[in-house]
Amino acid sequence: MAASGDMTSGNAGVADTEEQVPVELGDTAPLLSAMGFEELTERAGRLEGDVPTVLALFADGDALFASDLEREAIRGELRALGAMLIAVSPGSLWCFRPDDEAQVLAEGPQIDFAATHQLFVRYGVDVAPKSGPSLRGLFVVDGKGMVRFGHRVGADERVTLLTAVAAAGRAVLGVPARAVARGGASRREFLLTSLLAGFAVAVADGCARLDPPRSAGSITQEEVDVTLDINGQPRRLRLEPRVSLLDTLREHLGLTGTKKGCDHGQCGACTVLVDGRRINSCLTLAVMAEGTKITTIEGLGTEDALHPMQQAFVAEDALQCGYCTPGQIMSAVGLVSEGHAHDEDDIRELMSGNICRCGAYPNIVTAIGRAQKQMTAEGKASKEPV
Amino acid sequence: MTAPFSYVRVGDNLDAVLDTATPESQLLAGGTTLIDLMRLGVMKPARLLDINRLPLAKIDETPQGLSIGALARNSDLAHHPAVRRRFPALSQALLSGASPQLRNMATTAGNIMQRTRCPYFRDVGVAACNKRNPGSGCAAEEGYTRQHAVLGGSAHCIAVHPSDMCVALVALDAVVHVRGHYGTPIDGATAREIPMASFHLAPGTTPERETSIGHGELITHVTLPATALAARSVYVKARDRASYAFALASAAVALQIEEGKIRAARVALGGVATKPWRSADAEQALVGHQPSDATFASAADAALASATPRPDNRFKVPLAKAIIIRALERAREMT
Repeated sequence: MAASGDMTSGNAGVADTEEQVPVELGDTAPLLSAMGFEELTERAGRLEGDVPTVLALFADGDALFASDLEREAIRGELRALGAMLIAVSPGSLWCFRPDDEAQVLAEGPQIDFAATHQLFVRYGVDVAPKSGPSLRGLFVVDGKGMVRFGHRVGADERVTLLTAVAAAGRAVLGVPARAVARGGASRREFLLTSLLAGFAVAVADGCARLDPPRSAGSITQEEVDVTLDINGQPRRLRLEPRVSLLDTLREHLGLTGTKKGCDHGQCGACTVLVDGRRINSCLTLAVMAEGTKITTIEGLGTEDALHPMQQAFVAEDALQCGYCTPGQIMSAVGLVSEGHAHDEDDIRELMSGNICRCGAYPNIVTAIGRAQKQMTAEGKASKEPV
Repeated sequence: MTAPFSYVRVGDNLDAVLDTATPESQLLAGGTTLIDLMRLGVMKPARLLDINRLPLAKIDETPQGLSIGALARNSDLAHHPAVRRRFPALSQALLSGASPQLRNMATTAGNIMQRTRCPYFRDVGVAACNKRNPGSGCAAEEGYTRQHAVLGGSAHCIAVHPSDMCVALVALDAVVHVRGHYGTPIDGATAREIPMASFHLAPGTTPERETSIGHGELITHVTLPATALAARSVYVKARDRASYAFALASAAVALQIEEGKIRAARVALGGVATKPWRSADAEQALVGHQPSDATFASAADAALASATPRPDNRFKVPLAKAIIIRALERAREMT
């Protein structure tokens, strides 16, 4: 393992020639430990080899997290990606796992400036820009050490760590690129998002194998490989068989639109469609759902093109706090495609599996009737509602 | 948190399931009872055998009646045209149970095998439950018994069998078809037929034994005979809210009326008994008589004559009688 200054070893010799060409997608990521970051490797534990890593390169380490809220949001995105974050700036080195606090690995004089410089060069990122955002580049390295995604931030871009990680998360999770759809995004944001979308599956493949968080002392058991078709995207996961489909969506894939209410099949907040049929995802094991097509609220419509049922819930003000709403909407979509509701009494009876504690029932019933008319008119009622 | 278990998905080989079943394993179909009870810590199987891919989901109309695959979902069964037309009580019972989501998941066999909703059984913080922990006593004996059984109980257990579907199946003379190793453990898979009315066991001194099948046995299908009774069958259910609640009292009845007299009758009760409850006494009170209000009232009295209510569930006796009478009235109105 060569220290950064040791240019005489064989390793360094290889690095010397590679140094001129910044890494590209599909390249093997430069080993951090080989670039003078042994301490990082030791302190971060499983840093390299099998844990997907999001590598963020900053011009200024102080800008790492703007707020607690942002930190929480990044945590969620990382958890969804199954990855840990390494943030490097000329003056600091941070490690951030979804379930830990951010951990400073090295700061100030502890940092080997030459190593940092070399790292930035290898990733093709300007280490000391005169202007522009603090985040200079974001890279996703999969569990096998391959660069799966990279974005070098331009001087005129308005990209923060959260927006960059979130864009990766969105693309990987198959959520429509809302920033693009809204039209308010810059061309660069568009490119960033498109690029991410293109590599979504590849990143998902590399990232999905991170062990789910476990509390100390919990019983470990054998995990199984599961591939789920969620909103038209294949998602590879490694899960304990006891993990419910609901927890898989929320905790492992970051699809938090599906809600956990009672976790016992009594409230309907967790309703999703499996092969077009509404079910309680809390009482379904993820392993049972393999080979089916799962539709969640995220897969129903886009912000610009809401599903008729979503439109109707908005138009009829069919919610108050909104917690039960995704389940109500998915259940209502299932109800329409089942085709057994002929009047409002039928709707009430056939929506009995969805509890609304705010008591928005009158408007929910009206909204479903409204959407049902529209969906039936559009001939969607008898087809798969996606 | 659900205790860990290993998971095996069974392909399409039925006998492979039977060969691998052990006392520590549970068959997993819709999961609506099993996963719920595992999350509560009430059931802790070491191994789940997921049988959802077995080719047992078909519903076939036959000259003899109807054959219902073990894995036919409750919603598919409820809406099947032949069920609605020829066995209306079954469709009504299914649609009065659970929620549309749960009915999309729950299977025929799973519904038959579902466990009681007794709150003491479902709460592992309660030590005394002879069903969950044989010999530990019955917390309901000294507890709150509004939901508990007034028929078929014993000093060891008064938990209600919660199914609506099973009550209709009892009234419709259903037969449960089982395949598996019965008796000596390894003597090849064999098939047997168990009438629905004797499939479930009253608790007696062994409340932990709920059905007459054991490990290594699997329900393959249920048959309904085409009888003169079935088309004039009705299910009526009383519950604490308008929908999506277990029965306080329910009745499935079927009548064959010829020349102004009841020629044959079936009366089965739910929500009030420790098993899907067929009342031979009520049927006897009906057969040979005119389908009059007086006849119906005497049948209702006969059905509840042996009831042993407690202070908390005393209301179930008149409620069940009223439900029986209403169901009989509706059956009489059918043409």
